[in-house]
Amino acid sequence: MRQVHVPEFPSLTQDEFRRLCEFLYRRTGMIFTEAKRYYVERRVVDRMLATQAASCEDYFARLRANVSGEIEQFVNAFTINETYFYREEHQLTCLTSDLLAARLSAKGRGDPIRIWSVPCSTGEEPYSIAIWLLENWPHVDEHDIEIVGSDIDTAAVALARAGVYGKRALMRLPPRVVDKYFAPDGGTSWRILDELRESVRFTAVNILDRAATGSHGRFDVIFCRNVLIYFDDIARRNAAENLFENLLPGGFVCLGHTESMSRVSPLFEVARFADAIVYQRPEVPKRA
Amino acid sequence: MPDEVAKRVLVVDDAALVRLYYRTALERAGFEVAEALNGVEALEHVLAERFDLLVVDVNMPQMDGLSFLRTLRAKNLPLSSIPALVTSTESAPRRIAEANAAGANFYIVKPLRAETLVQYASLFCGARHG
Repeated sequence: MRQVHVPEFPSLTQDEFRRLCEFLYRRTGMIFTEAKRYYVERRVVDRMLATQAASCEDYFARLRANVSGEIEQFVNAFTINETYFYREEHQLTCLTSDLLAARLSAKGRGDPIRIWSVPCSTGEEPYSIAIWLLENWPHVDEHDIEIVGSDIDTAAVALARAGVYGKRALMRLPPRVVDKYFAPDGGTSWRILDELRESVRFTAVNILDRAATGSHGRFDVIFCRNVLIYFDDIARRNAAENLFENLLPGGFVCLGHTESMSRVSPLFEVARFADAIVYQRPEVPKRA
Repeated sequence: MPDEVAKRVLVVDDAALVRLYYRTALERAGFEVAEALNGVEALEHVLAERFDLLVVDVNMPQMDGLSFLRTLRAKNLPLSSIPALVTSTESAPRRIAEANAAGANFYIVKPLRAETLVQYASLFCGARHG
């Protein structure tokens, strides 16, 4: 392998750091401040090594020119893909005990049920939804259920489609459920069954890109967990408005347990259920 | 059932989740299960392999469940006589009559509980399952 000289730690100048963060913000809505300099620099070094860039300036030039799709790689390096099956199980309980029944009462016979997991990272969440429905929803064969998983990170989406997971991702699943829906794949990983892979459609999408989110159509339930926390107020509001547009009237959005829509957007109504607090697009638009 | 040959069921449904739901229920009860996602695939399966029971959805792309059954029933024995359990969300008597005329042995309105599916499958296969 050709040795490439990359400084141990590319001390980004303040100006370089600011330009990078602005670039990331425009592309992803994620905010990084000086407090996260270490996190940012680590990833820049990784990308410089991967692209064999000679200097920071050289790397920025490649990034701006999007040489070999570097923008996508750069964005992928900043996404956080730490998740696992059956995360925040109480929301899944809420889905099958309350949300689906509420949606069905508003629908015609034969109307599909559409569920969106965004961002879906490497697929744990949309597959968890499918497994949860099989295990806990007695109407699973009665409705046409469409589950879509989307993420800005194209590498994560590719992994989601492959559906191979390590022990850590499966730690919260009862062993019986692992045996039922996964096949051993080598010594330390498990492959999700083909029917489950077929039942989830994966797409790459930036939640802040209205044209891209709009092309996914409207959903009954959206799981959008732990992404708004990375956004600033403006990006958060844009994301919330996009989610609103992607919901059918009366549809629900589930956020992460530390997140709240109340301070982000006035469009939604709070819907309190026994197992979770979620946000609902009103059947009739609220008055401004 | 160490000395018995496992009974074989073909599940025909275009929804992957439904196929998986039925398959896991039947396999747990000792059946061997194959899957087809429409009538065309189902025909390919029955021409190539032996089945003791077909579990057939009605609305499917390419070839729906009733067209599949009509085609199957027009074939020679023993193919034409494989028992078929039709599953559908439609409960109108007219729909049930249509399915029976097409060659359904039994018609069940979805949702179908796993235990119910196993009970019917055992009944049709004459096997001690479930």
